[in-house]
Formats: sequence, structure tokens, C-alpha cells
Amino acid sequence: MSTGQTILTIASFLFLTTILTNFYTLVASTGDDIANGQDGILETTISTSYLELAQGMSFDEVTDSSDAAIANATLLTLPANLGPDCSAEDSIQNFNDFDDFNGLRVEKQPGGTNKRFMTRFAVHYVDPNNVTTISAARTFVKRLDLATWRSFPPASRGERLDTLHTSLVFGYFHFD
Amino acid sequence: MATIFDLIASLVFSGALFLIILTANDTALETQATSHGDMLVQQMLINVAQMVEGEFRNMGFGVPENQKTVLLADTSSITFLTDMDRSGTSLDTVRYTLGPVSELSRTQNEQDRFLYRALNGGTKQNVGVVTLFTLRYFTRDGDTLAMPVPADRLTEIHVVEVTMEVQNSYAPYRPTWAVQTGQRNALYSSSLWQQTRLASQNSRR
Repeated sequence: MSTGQTILTIASFLFLTTILTNFYTLVASTGDDIANGQDGILETTISTSYLELAQGMSFDEVTDSSDAAIANATLLTLPANLGPDCSAEDSIQNFNDFDDFNGLRVEKQPGGTNKRFMTRFAVHYVDPNNVTTISAARTFVKRLDLATWRSFPPASRGERLDTLHTSLVFGYFHFD
Repeated sequence: MATIFDLIASLVFSGALFLIILTANDTALETQATSHGDMLVQQMLINVAQMVEGEFRNMGFGVPENQKTVLLADTSSITFLTDMDRSGTSLDTVRYTLGPVSELSRTQNEQDRFLYRALNGGTKQNVGVVTLFTLRYFTRDGDTLAMPVPADRLTEIHVVEVTMEVQNSYAPYRPTWAVQTGQRNALYSSSLWQQTRLASQNSRR
């Protein structure tokens, strides 16, 4: 085998190695994408579960403790005080109104998997005419924003973790 | 002599090349099969979940305050009331049950089974194939109720947690040497779904 042929052979193998490396990278990324799809399903179900629980709450601490209709928004909880109203409201089971979720961070491990998901909650008053705008004043509409992401296992090298953002707009109403 | 050496060298290189291509081909086939399985089970799960989610969301809709919403509550079956057609006059009874694994013994997966739904005591219809459908019931205080939930405690059900898992019915078998104790003999894909639902809406407003 001449020197030229040897160089040509080595170059061919280098070329083949490059192709194979790309091929295996592609295979691995396809698997990661599908695994991320499963994470997305679980994140969605976890978020929906919290939203469902929040929907079952009273609009405000004031409306939970009184059956009387509230006609003046200034009677509601101050924006700065949104969150649990007392030390007894230390978990979702003990929450009684919608804004108790404000500032909460909960990690949940769905049954049947070792994955854990963190959810961060924030509650704001919003402009009733444009619910995307946070209002500094008290209004009869609140919005719960959730951010859910996989907290365990942590992202492996080169893996991209998505965070699911969901929101629930909740308005006050009263049956006379 | 040089020609023989060239031939031997060519044989070695072509043999290595052949092995590399075979391995890559095997990997591609296995990955394609598992990826296809993963996608399939995620789609199957979403189809079933949309149905279950929609109906569980409306659990207790139109049910008077003094009437219980959940009529029967067990590990893998539930019967509840809802006003399906929003007539406001009559309530409907929806029942979800899990069929036995023997019904799908013809499939390769030994764990898959039908999930059935029956409306107003009518014929049960299968809404999908699942490998897991478990329910848990919680009180307003977050306590788990023992199952089956006794009739006198059904009104205490505040939250229902539904867990579903779907696996593909057929999957590529693993080589015998690769199957370890406790492992399954095929590369089944799996997708999990877990959600909590209120047994009755508007309970605190």
C-alpha cells in the first residue's frame, strides 16, 4: 500500500467517524425530545391540578369569611398582602382563598416516576379590561401565574429543560 | 508479497467498516422502534386523558348541595353524578371501571387492559387501553380516604386524584442475554398522567 493510499484510507475513516458521531448525536437528541414530551405531559397535569384546586377557593379572605356581597374593591386584601393570611395557612390543604398561593413554591413527585417537578406561584390583581396587565390597585379580578419545571433529575449536559407557564384568571361574583 | 499485504489490509478495513455499519443500523432500528413507541403511547395517553379530564372536570355539575356527588369510589373505579346535557332537570350517572388484563391477553404486553365508561347504567364502552388507572380520594383537609370509600364518607370526598399510565401493546423484544431479573423482555414505552380534580366545583366561593 502506497503512502497515498494509506492517507486516503485514514481520511475515509475520519470522514466515516464524523458521520457516525453526527448520527449518534441525532439519535440521542431524538430520544431527549421525546422524553421532554413526557415531562411536558406531567408538567401540564401538575399545573392543571393546582389550577383546579385554586378554582375551588374563595376569591379573597374577606369573601371567605363573609356571605355578604362585596361591592367595594378597597375592602379586599391589599396587593402587598396577597398570600397566606395567617400561620395556619401553611399548605395548599389549609388555604381558603385564591391569593393564598402567592409566593408559594411546591415540589411534587407524581406517583410512578422518580421525577420531581417544582411549581412557583404568583397572584396579582389585574385590570378587568385587560387581564394581561397587572394592577397596582385592588380590583375584582385576580390572576394566578404558575411556572412548572422538572427539578429532578437535573438537566444533563446539553439537555434543555422547558418551563411551563400557565395562568388562571379568577373574577369575583356573588349570588344574592 | 506486497499484493497479499494489500489484500489483507483491505479485508481488515472492510471488515471493520462492515461491523460499524451493522452496529449503526441496529442502533438506528432500535431507536426508531422505541421513539415510535414513545410517540404512540403519548398520543394514546392524551386521547384517553382528554376524555377523562373533560368528564372529571364536570363532576358534580348541577348536583344540589345536599346530594352527594360521588356514588361509589374505589381504587380503580368511580361512579359520580353530573349534568351531562346541562338540562338542569336530570342528573346523569357516569361510571369508569378498569377491565381485567385477561381481555387483552392476545397482545404482547401482559399489563394492558381496557378502561371502560358507562353512562346511566348503560352498556360499558371502552375509552382506551391503559396499563394503570388508579384513583385516590382526599378530604378537604387533605387526608386520604381508605378504599373503597364507605358510603357514609362519600360526601367527604373533596379531591379525586387520577393516575393513568399507557404502554404500547407491542414492542421489540430485547435480546435474552440483556434481560436481567425483574426486567421485562421487551422495550415497552410508557407515558404517565396524573391529575387532581375537585369532586364538586364552586364549593368554596
